[in-house]
Amino acid sequence: MSLFKGPMRQHIQGHKELTEHVDILEIKAGNCVYIPMLSGASTNLEMLVQEGDKVLVGTKLAVCNERNVVPIYSSVSGTVKGIEKRMHSSLKPVNHLVIENDGEYKKEQSFEPLDYETADRTALIDFMMNAGIIGLGGAGFPAYIKYKFAKDVEKLIINAVECEPFITADYKMIQAHKEELVTGILAMKKMAMAKEAVIAIKKTHPDLISFCEEAVKGLDGVSVVAVPDVYPMGWERVLVREIMHKEYEKLPGEVGAIVNNATTAIAFGNALLHGEAIITKTLTVSGNAIKHPQNVTVPVGVPVNEIVEACGGYTCDDVKLIAGGPMMGKTIVNDKFVIDRNMNAITILANKPYDSVACLRCGKCSDHCPAGLQPVRIAQAVKTKDKNAMEKLCAMDCIECGLCTFICPSRLDVTENVRKAKRQLMMAKK
Amino acid sequence: MKFTFNASPNLRQSQSTKQIMLELMLGLLVVFGFSLVYYNSVYGMEYALQAVKLMVVSLVVALVTEIAFAFFTKKDAKFDFAYIKQFLGSSFGWITAIILTLMCPISIRPYALGVSTFIAIFFGKLLFGGFGNNIFNPAAFGRAIVFATFMGATTDVVTGATPTTLIATNYNWLVVNPEMIQEMMSEVGGLGKLFTGWYPGAIGETSALVILLVGVILAIRKVIDWRVPVVYLGSIFLLTACVALLRGVGSYEGLPGFIWYPLVHVLTGGVVFGAIFMLTDPVTSPTSAQGRCIFALGAAIFTVLIRIKANLPEGCLYSILLMNMLTPMIEKSLEGKQLALRKKAWIISGVVGVVGLGSVLLAGNVIEAKEPAPKVFLKTEDKDVNKFEAKITATKDNGDGTATYKVEAQGYASTEDASKFNKFDIVVNTKDHTIVSVTPTEVVDTEYVGDKILNEAFLSQFKEQKLSDNIEVEVNDAVTGATFSSKSTVRAVEEVRKALGY
Repeated sequence: MSLFKGPMRQHIQGHKELTEHVDILEIKAGNCVYIPMLSGASTNLEMLVQEGDKVLVGTKLAVCNERNVVPIYSSVSGTVKGIEKRMHSSLKPVNHLVIENDGEYKKEQSFEPLDYETADRTALIDFMMNAGIIGLGGAGFPAYIKYKFAKDVEKLIINAVECEPFITADYKMIQAHKEELVTGILAMKKMAMAKEAVIAIKKTHPDLISFCEEAVKGLDGVSVVAVPDVYPMGWERVLVREIMHKEYEKLPGEVGAIVNNATTAIAFGNALLHGEAIITKTLTVSGNAIKHPQNVTVPVGVPVNEIVEACGGYTCDDVKLIAGGPMMGKTIVNDKFVIDRNMNAITILANKPYDSVACLRCGKCSDHCPAGLQPVRIAQAVKTKDKNAMEKLCAMDCIECGLCTFICPSRLDVTENVRKAKRQLMMAKK
Repeated sequence: MKFTFNASPNLRQSQSTKQIMLELMLGLLVVFGFSLVYYNSVYGMEYALQAVKLMVVSLVVALVTEIAFAFFTKKDAKFDFAYIKQFLGSSFGWITAIILTLMCPISIRPYALGVSTFIAIFFGKLLFGGFGNNIFNPAAFGRAIVFATFMGATTDVVTGATPTTLIATNYNWLVVNPEMIQEMMSEVGGLGKLFTGWYPGAIGETSALVILLVGVILAIRKVIDWRVPVVYLGSIFLLTACVALLRGVGSYEGLPGFIWYPLVHVLTGGVVFGAIFMLTDPVTSPTSAQGRCIFALGAAIFTVLIRIKANLPEGCLYSILLMNMLTPMIEKSLEGKQLALRKKAWIISGVVGVVGLGSVLLAGNVIEAKEPAPKVFLKTEDKDVNKFEAKITATKDNGDGTATYKVEAQGYASTEDASKFNKFDIVVNTKDHTIVSVTPTEVVDTEYVGDKILNEAFLSQFKEQKLSDNIEVEVNDAVTGATFSSKSTVRAVEEVRKALGY
């Protein structure tokens, strides 16, 4: 309740109960896996294998050297069949490396494990880079960059908020990988030279809070902090605002914070302890149009239709198939796309169109925007094609969290209007 | 199998615009219900039915206007029930009709309300591009039309004077003297009555209690933004409290001037109704929380200024229309990210607040407070009194120790015709020469002026006065003409004194 700003966030019903207490289903890959040859926005990768090569689980397949170094490892053992262009979960057509699965899952250690306690900071950062650890909260940005440029870090915030409805993958991962989590956090804390590390968990998950408190008991400078069950609590800006009461311009580093997802810490811990890259993913398959909502663990590169089949199939004929959670995930018009390393959910919702009416300028979108933008006015600027206004209204700072569309009582596609503004501004810049 | 594309996000909250409007309508109907109960129990069924009739007229006009507009603006101009239903469902004309009816006095003629409703809906909303595009609050627009055009269009269904009219016309919105405060407050029925709304006024604007209750529920249900009424009513309170402090408004029933006086401002007229139902209209107010606060503050300043200084009894309505016009400017000044804009918003509100307070105080300083009339005394030996002619026409001993003198004295009428005299019977105790009674028997002064001499409070002052003294009486109403008649009376008494040798 503030006179000059709205709540800037909103509670959204989580539907977590659908999958929270169902065991994780392990799914084997089918005949072929398709590894996306993509790192962030870059498709310019150096290929390390070629058609006909035999590969093992953990073989390095390719490495991206554009700007940041990100290697990609194989998730199955078998034969490289070549390159195929397929639609990626980011809606772009991307080259995928096709590997014929021999079903034996013969392993090769991707790299040597490392003891974080004896290794120095630079060694840890190099290790993180070579292990191909990327941000698993969704962005997929190489994780080592944050630590390379870390300076005066006060808090390392481990993000286990999982604010998207339906998703419980982080929740399940934390409970299954306590040791990896703790190792990852301690190593990251060392790399960040952070005074303390906090694990942020929603208040509404008391069991997970006590689980994590138990796990970090006795560790110096590591604690658990409960945050409110609102959306988008998991956005680093909102987390820093909630935990540190600080605002930053572009990156959390400006106010002495580094935010990483809990599953990133687990993946890093896994690499440190077992020398294993990100080759399998645990993700939540949920929604109101899937027969058996549950969490599944699959090798990277498995097409979604195989996963849906393993979960009992669709329950209605017209669905919205979403790569990710319902708020930020994109709907994809076929189920042939594959699981990539930074995916954490597939949400399948029955398609139920809404009637929209004219915008009544209620300003609920502006009141709730976690970035403090004014979506209603950006939409007006789009309508009048006023690029100057779009720029003044900081349209580019939108992260497309979708809260404005969610909250809009007139059922308008507010976020989409802001996206249009962003596209127009980007076109103008080019 | 169909995979539908949809731009994310793919979830929607449950509250819809239609639901918001429905809840707003229910809130308005509760207020209307209260006024029906009031008119039914105070003035009778006929009045309640009149209120219902007005509501029906306004609603029908609103719907017919919208249906006709939908029909004629559709390309093929064919009657398409589904299209019209959809048009009405997203135009919300009935809200305008209900609000407009609630703002009108019950004495308004139905045709006047009907015409205003049409103008409000057609010119105020549809021509601007329909719901969501109108600049002015359509209901306020319609009410301004009533003010400008149909003030005389009233029916026989009349009620007593409303507190707003009383305070505005008789007291100029400012009383300082405790005696006058008491008088004004007893005329309007006290703060309690103003709060409950058990008094005549615009159909739905009177009950602050009911409107505030509805407002709290609507705010909790997120139908309206709590900031607007809080800032608006709070600012009116503070501004008028400052006026009270500046002018040293006296206390009333133990409440100091800076408490009761602002309360009167907040509780009278359409302020509370405007705060809850009109300023919160999202279409015509700024979209951001900061903008809405500045908007409400500006409206509060205009309301107070118009009330105390302008020629209008009530400021709420025009303050809304004025701020509606300034909405684009407020929006323009707040472009960017809201967190970064907070400082700017504080500065703007600070400047607006200071300028507003300055103008209100300036206005408050120059308005004249209603003061009690000065006292006028008359003595029997006054020159003023003795310039009138008087004569004793008859004397009669009543046989019980008293004598009646029949006296004629000039009065107001003599200023036109010197041969006209007022006639009095003056009864005197013959022993100690004290007056028993003074009774006018024939008053030739004009009827209005003459009434004043017949005033018992004035005449009783003569009782038991000694004729040996220079008798002094107070003229209890300083109406100029009445002073003549009072002098005439005193002159008659003087004639008796003279006859008795004093």
